[in-house]
Amino acid sequence: MPDSITPEIFRHLVDLAALELDEDEAEYLRRQLNGQLKAIAELESIELDSETAVTSHGVPYPDAIRPPLRSDVVRPAHEADDILAQAPATEDRYIVVPDIPHTELE
Amino acid sequence: MTDLCDRPAHELVSLLHSGETSAQAILESTLARIDAVEGRPPTTAPYLEQPDDRTRVHAYIAVTRDLARQQAQAVDDRLAAGQDPGPLAGIPVAVKDIFCVQGTPSTAGSRILETFVSPYTATPVARLEAAGAVVVGKANLDEFAFGSSSESSAFLPPPGNPWDPRRVPGGSSGGSAAAVAAGEAVVSLGTDTAGSVRQPAAFCGVVGLKPTYGRVSRYGLIAFASSLDCPALVTRDVEDAALVLGVVAGQDAKDATAAAAPVPDYRARLDAGVAGLRIGLSPDYIRLRFPDPVSGELREQSIAPEVEAAVHEAAQALAAAGAEIVEGVPMPNTRFGVPAYFVISRVEAASNLHRYDGVKYGYRFPGEVTDLKDLYRKSRGRGFGPQPKLRILMGMYVSAEQYEKAYYPRALRVRTRIRRDFEQAFDPAGPYRLDALLTPTTPATAFEIGAVYGDSVLMQYADLLTVPGNHAGVPGLSLPAGLDRQGLPIGIQLLGADFHEAMLMRVGRAYESLTASAGWRRARPAVLQSVGSS
Amino acid sequence: MYEAVIGLETHIQLNTRSKIFCACKADSWGDAPNTNICPVCTGLPGVLPALNRAVVAKAARLAAAMHVERLAGESFFARKNYFYPDLPKGYQISQYNEPLARGGYLDVPLPDGERRVHIWKLHIEEDAGKTVHRGDRRLIDFNRCGVPLVEMVTGPDLRSADEAAQYVIRLRQLLRWLDVSEADMEKGQLRCDANVSIRPQGSTELNTKTEIKNVNSIDSLRQAIQTEIARQSRETESGGTIEAWTLEWDEDEGVLRKMRSKETEADYRYFREPDLLPIQLSEAERAEVVEALPELPLERRRRFVEEYELPDYDAEILTEERSLSEYFEAAVGALAGQPKIVSNWLMNDVLRLLRERGLTAGSLRLTPVYLAEIIRMVQSKDITTNTGKDLLDKIETTGRSPAEIVDAEALRQVTDVDALGALARQVLAENPDQVAQYRSGKTALIGWFVGQVMKRSGGQADPQKARQLLEEQLRPS
Repeated sequence: MPDSITPEIFRHLVDLAALELDEDEAEYLRRQLNGQLKAIAELESIELDSETAVTSHGVPYPDAIRPPLRSDVVRPAHEADDILAQAPATEDRYIVVPDIPHTELE
Repeated sequence: MTDLCDRPAHELVSLLHSGETSAQAILESTLARIDAVEGRPPTTAPYLEQPDDRTRVHAYIAVTRDLARQQAQAVDDRLAAGQDPGPLAGIPVAVKDIFCVQGTPSTAGSRILETFVSPYTATPVARLEAAGAVVVGKANLDEFAFGSSSESSAFLPPPGNPWDPRRVPGGSSGGSAAAVAAGEAVVSLGTDTAGSVRQPAAFCGVVGLKPTYGRVSRYGLIAFASSLDCPALVTRDVEDAALVLGVVAGQDAKDATAAAAPVPDYRARLDAGVAGLRIGLSPDYIRLRFPDPVSGELREQSIAPEVEAAVHEAAQALAAAGAEIVEGVPMPNTRFGVPAYFVISRVEAASNLHRYDGVKYGYRFPGEVTDLKDLYRKSRGRGFGPQPKLRILMGMYVSAEQYEKAYYPRALRVRTRIRRDFEQAFDPAGPYRLDALLTPTTPATAFEIGAVYGDSVLMQYADLLTVPGNHAGVPGLSLPAGLDRQGLPIGIQLLGADFHEAMLMRVGRAYESLTASAGWRRARPAVLQSVGSS
Repeated sequence: MYEAVIGLETHIQLNTRSKIFCACKADSWGDAPNTNICPVCTGLPGVLPALNRAVVAKAARLAAAMHVERLAGESFFARKNYFYPDLPKGYQISQYNEPLARGGYLDVPLPDGERRVHIWKLHIEEDAGKTVHRGDRRLIDFNRCGVPLVEMVTGPDLRSADEAAQYVIRLRQLLRWLDVSEADMEKGQLRCDANVSIRPQGSTELNTKTEIKNVNSIDSLRQAIQTEIARQSRETESGGTIEAWTLEWDEDEGVLRKMRSKETEADYRYFREPDLLPIQLSEAERAEVVEALPELPLERRRRFVEEYELPDYDAEILTEERSLSEYFEAAVGALAGQPKIVSNWLMNDVLRLLRERGLTAGSLRLTPVYLAEIIRMVQSKDITTNTGKDLLDKIETTGRSPAEIVDAEALRQVTDVDALGALARQVLAENPDQVAQYRSGKTALIGWFVGQVMKRSGGQADPQKARQLLEEQLRPS
């Protein structure tokens, strides 16, 4: 069976995933993914009638156990400084990153 | 006389209340055990195995001794002041390092979160602490809980199985199960997304409880697959599971999926016995399609005979105690659990891992980058190990529009079918009317470190018998049920209807009583044989 | 000749107190960066969203006001996955193909009658943060992350830049009317993207459209669309083709720029958000939303014309803002009628007061009852019209009732013939020259004499009565 995930498709996935990989790692990962697809192919042997709905969570949430929505109440943001302290680079309370890549069309 | 750290929580709580021991004594006993069996602390440095590594447990990424001592002291102070120190007063707990705990590194076993110090505490951990539990440390795990052996952690050496440290403790909550088995904690808070608490509990000869999805808040659990993730418990016996579940279960305003179902007293009917209960057995949990351990090819085969035998022995014991054994319960979609999981969990995981981008917290590539996208690629490329990368890439593949082939909707509908198997089995008006389904927890006992790791398909099939419960959301309880010829623990699993944890624990407790005098119950993990009793 | 085909995609910031999924303050206008943030809205590991019920209530109210065909009994959130530094989770929680509502409309009055602008879809989503350029770096502020938005997409029903502007004006009016959004475009509380294409007049085809982003005022919207229609017309005239560009309006330069393509393949890999349950609205809840809907601006405008016989112009002004229209009705009620008189007072004087003080009618200390009282006092000649107008400001400043102020400051109009007669006599006695001039035929001086009497009375004399008495006394005896 030919690989479903060709090196070309794989490169595209890596780009979508924003991952930089070295070559050996890439080839290992690609082989593993193709192996997993064989297991996933098992799903195709199931006949599903169109009636079968999707299940988002296994358990249903009938009204009796559905938690209520949150009330619109403001709570002071005590953790703001601790959160900022986690950022690798900050300036004047802003988090800093390099500029956005330019893929100018013209 | 066993060490304090080897006793179950409910006994320790009694000893504490009767003044026979103190929280500090329990903690010191636990810390002494950690010193005796833990081995060198794991790091993210390039891993070179040392001769000693495969004789030790390596359950923890971090042991938070100082914090633990403060908490133990606080419990003793409350006791001395005549205040109620809480239902888990003084109980040493290992928290899987997938839960955020304020002020402590919360790494998910990943380099990308190595420097992350959480500004908040996960709800289940906060509830444990409020109940007087003492957090001993953060237990090691597969990176982001992606695995079934705990070998994929960025923090190495990997945890070893206390019964044979050359073998894996299972995973992803391997550190949690190993810690409880080795007396390095009395209970542990883990997570179970496909079997991540039940499978290591089975491998390590301890009790593993995955509650119903929504029974315990996920707030603060670093997400893997959000529709499947479940905070779960590793304990020494069923009564402890009941005790701890009562503390952590219940609604949480911070988790919209935490059910508003009342929390019963899980211990109230633990000893009600099994007379008249209907316990099911399903051939679909014994013989099914999974990869041949040697060739790796998917084929129809049976699980390990000793594991199968343990299930039948358990059924006989329960039958002798008055349970009605219902054989031949069809669970035909069990075999699709792993394939559907390969799709659903990957789509959710890829999305959940989007946030690790080097911008806000954790690892940021420190060298030169050309632009923001380069920063993303380098931070994620170096911050993530192979397991997250595999899950991200597969998640991209099965959900990207141009390749999709409707994998994801199909998997979600297969999930519906898996759920229906359970609904039919537990339907009180249906043909089977089960109170519990009795199955093996794993197809085989613990494998050797390195034997499976690297083959992501084979590894995933370690969850073959546990993952259907996650798809369906139903509760599952894994119980120690003997040792195989190699002296490795065998686990059996009880699956139940939504929110029927109490029923599973009642059956589990009965099974414990029925096997209390079995020889294997007196066996101790190998790593403890060199440890003298204090 | 070409006609333009325009559809608008609007993002509406709901005016809830807290954010959509956490308890941080939603409105960060003027706050320092990264102050209204918490683990949830900054996407820390392990956090989960908790949906704000007010968001659902306000979005449902808006949907009902847009006459949606279907307010969904069950609608879902999805994750829209993409990398951007202002998006801390790496995905936006947004409704997608199972939105809160579909199929509504807003009727927009245009010079040639009302135009029905269809609404295809109305959904709820969270806002992202903001990024600021500083040299070769980007600075990120997460304060805006998790601010609740409603996205509303119209059909291609608008035919000119003016029509598009009218739609936004009417939408803004409605949003404030319903108290779902402050809808201040400059604060980004109402944002608008326009899809523009052209076609030969009379044709029904839909041609390739361009999308204009980043318009943050109604004037910008009008100009940007005009500019784009002109460009497309030129392009088509010269045999060129229109490509599906995304354009950005540069407000300072007044030009459209082609935006860099954000991602060549925008594949957001949407899937249902597993961290949230579907939004459920029972039949009863949905009926209640419709039931609780206030009379809408255009309906009220029509009613004002019919019920109060107001001119269209008055009705339009009085229904521009909900509390003003309510004020009007309350004042008419308090006065037991005379709607046109009340309207005149409101349009001439009360609106000026509102503008000067930056208030809305609902927040005035000058209540409709007080206004009615003033009008009544003027009509009964207890006070002069000028005194009445002065009272508006005095009441608003002090919060005291008209009667209190009139009494305290002795502002009652002098209508007493004896008192006025005495004043008139005094004025005549002191100004014999003017009296002589008047008597010799310069009768226009009567106005000057009245003015003198008014002055002496401190403005409280009834000028007509004063004139009458003066004329009597000046008559040659």
